[in-house]
Amino acid sequence: MRRDVFQGIADPTRREILGMIARQSLNVNSVAEKFEVSRTAIYKHLKILEECGLVKMQQEGRERYCVAKLDRLKDVSEWADEYRKIWAERLDNLENYLAELQTKNKKDGSIK
Amino acid sequence: MAALNETMSEKTDREIIITRVIDAPRELVFEAWSDPKHLDKWWGPNGFTTTTHAFEFKVGGAWQFTMSGPYGDFPNTIVYDEIVAPERIAYTNVGAFTSVATFVEQDGKTTVKMHATFYSPEGLKEAVEHYKAIEGGKQTLERLDAYVSKKN
Repeated sequence: MRRDVFQGIADPTRREILGMIARQSLNVNSVAEKFEVSRTAIYKHLKILEECGLVKMQQEGRERYCVAKLDRLKDVSEWADEYRKIWAERLDNLENYLAELQTKNKKDGSIK
Repeated sequence: MAALNETMSEKTDREIIITRVIDAPRELVFEAWSDPKHLDKWWGPNGFTTTTHAFEFKVGGAWQFTMSGPYGDFPNTIVYDEIVAPERIAYTNVGAFTSVATFVEQDGKTTVKMHATFYSPEGLKEAVEHYKAIEGGKQTLERLDAYVSKKN
């Protein structure tokens, strides 16, 4: 199954995991211990996050560490910002255009 | 941590919603969305002209257009997924994301709600680059504008 960054953050537990390891990398057991749900469930979430490119697993001695890879989140927020800006402008334009159109129509005495 | 949480809850959802009240009746707002004669006038964004190449306003039909700015042309294709006059238009920006525009009238004014959802990581990448390029073009324009006004 193909994964993308959105699938990674679609689940609240996965968002929590990301928030947890964003500040400092943790080993798999430390992550699992912080949740009520089963260890297996947490492993599954970590695997999905890894497949989405949001987490990298690093072997250090006998421990496996989860390292957050948040670069891709930046892409998403950048897009959101630009999209918002452009739509704000576009709707300004629409508003102005329709105001003009309505003034003109009144002058012409027609409805449209 | 706060910054990260904000980023995740508000901006990294698959969806973006933008709402605006426009002082015009719904029929007219809908018309402005459904005719290239109007679309070309406001689709912009600022500093850009929109040129329609093909337009078929029906489910499965497409609007092909180019947004031209001082530093580039951006060809676009929008395919209409759902049209309910004069309430709702759902469309797909091919390769990137889907959007739903809804129009609600109250007291002669119309609330326009834009709701965009991504469907592919490629789309995300493309959209980021596309929007960044547009933003870059606009900044250039603003600089040009400032330069020209200084000259006068």
